[in-house]
Amino acid sequence: MNVFLQELRTQRKSTLIWTLSLAAFGSLYILFFGAIKNDIQVFEDVLKNFPPVAQAALGFVLGALRTVTGFYAFAFNYVVLCGAVQAANLGVGAIGREIGGSTADFLLTKPVARWNILAQKALAVLALLVSTNVVVLAVTLPAAAAQGPDFDVAQFVALSATLFFVQVVFAALGLLYGIVARKIKSVVAVSLPGVFAFFVVGMLGSIIGEDTIRYFTPFKWFDTAYILKNSAYETTFCLLAVAVAVAAVAASFVALAKKDVQAL
Amino acid sequence: MNVIEIHNLTKSYGKARGIIDVSFDVEEGEIFGFIGPNGAGKSTTIRTLLSLIRPTSGSATIFGKDCVAEAPAIAREIGYLPSEVFYYDKMKVIDLLRYSASFYGKDCTKRIKELAEYMDLDLKRRIDDLSYGNRKKVGIVQGLLHEPKLIILDEPTGGLDPLMQQKFFELLRQENAKGATILLSSHVLDEVQRLCSRVAIIKEGRIIKLEKMSDLTRDNYKKVSVECDATADARFVIDGVSSVERKDGTVTFLFKGDVNVMVRRLAEVQVKNLWIEEPTLEEIFLHYYQKEA
Repeated sequence: MNVFLQELRTQRKSTLIWTLSLAAFGSLYILFFGAIKNDIQVFEDVLKNFPPVAQAALGFVLGALRTVTGFYAFAFNYVVLCGAVQAANLGVGAIGREIGGSTADFLLTKPVARWNILAQKALAVLALLVSTNVVVLAVTLPAAAAQGPDFDVAQFVALSATLFFVQVVFAALGLLYGIVARKIKSVVAVSLPGVFAFFVVGMLGSIIGEDTIRYFTPFKWFDTAYILKNSAYETTFCLLAVAVAVAAVAASFVALAKKDVQAL
Repeated sequence: MNVIEIHNLTKSYGKARGIIDVSFDVEEGEIFGFIGPNGAGKSTTIRTLLSLIRPTSGSATIFGKDCVAEAPAIAREIGYLPSEVFYYDKMKVIDLLRYSASFYGKDCTKRIKELAEYMDLDLKRRIDDLSYGNRKKVGIVQGLLHEPKLIILDEPTGGLDPLMQQKFFELLRQENAKGATILLSSHVLDEVQRLCSRVAIIKEGRIIKLEKMSDLTRDNYKKVSVECDATADARFVIDGVSSVERKDGTVTFLFKGDVNVMVRRLAEVQVKNLWIEEPTLEEIFLHYYQKEA
């Protein structure tokens, strides 16, 4: 329990900043909808003139822009991107920070098993991600609901929840990387390029219209257009997300148990 | 009873050498010295005992428990001070020590206060504001606050001023008197000589000597350098003299035996300058190495 609480304490401030930034960005964009909703036709016409490649790359779902959730879906791509960086930071940092900063010498010579430390750290990361998602939803949902009477709550929640799913996947992958990497000097220097690489892969997939690429980037596992249409997720990709997250966490336990913690 | 038993412990890192076939025991209540130059394998051995590193082969037990399988249970009774201490920079000293204490499930508040006062450590400062020496003090308090039965020190005195070193050694003697067993690794022979009852010498990953301190000091070598007339050199080449070197009018050699004999010899010549020193550990090593070859 002490490792769990310590991790919460360490990440408290950065989680607060990330959470407020995501909530502010999301809700400001939603308020922007309120300002232009009467002229949305003009807005759509402008976007239609964009080359199809640009449309695909930016992630607009044309035709869905008339509802607040559809309009938000565009900005939400970037909320998820930022959220993925936050999650990767938490994941990579959980153990990677201890090994990279040599505080592992302190932590791993305490009378607590390695699996126990990892379990407490992983739960702390999960708790921080849950709190981020609760706050972001608590701020954006009322903002969106205020935009008109025809607001579809289920659809909005279904879309918003994908932030959490993508974050969990990146946190799990980060957790594993933080253990198997030799020594991580800077967590951001690892998480930022890693997350952006996956994002760019997704963007390229959209541009060339190649569906197979969707399997290789968590950013495309929860397709916005599909969610807007069905208020649900595609089963295959849900299973894939669960499988990757579970496998990464399981591999983390194995890797940490075998890890040699070297002196500087 | 043996607190630590190490059986043929080996750790290899691909091509790089780790430790090879290391075996020794540490008895309950003794202060055991573990000496060798940097990179000889002291830290690798200690980190394996602490289960920070998994052995390639061989095994070790502490308090009769396997040091890999039962690491958490063993850790409860161990206090560890590494050569370089690293803590969470943004924490205050007191918070770090409380966090450390929280792992042992007992109230260590009083003990933290006592130790901090003794070591002259300010508990309210942030870790990243501390000097190297003060961080080391945090390490000392951190390693001793739960009153461990086995204290493992890996080159502990770096960064401590001589006064603090003395206080620290006094603290170790007190803990030892209360029953704690101590494993002290060092490359400072003097430090080991003052404290330890037995020593193991490690070189290039292998234990090359394991003996009582009293025996080691009995056949201790003196390093003698004499600045004198070149013709007088021959007078010093008596029994027990080895590694003779001449350079810039100074003759340097290792001497093992009755110091009085050497002093009489020295008195017979016109000496311009004279140094009699403890040989460095490296010089003793060199000697053992040559003897083995």
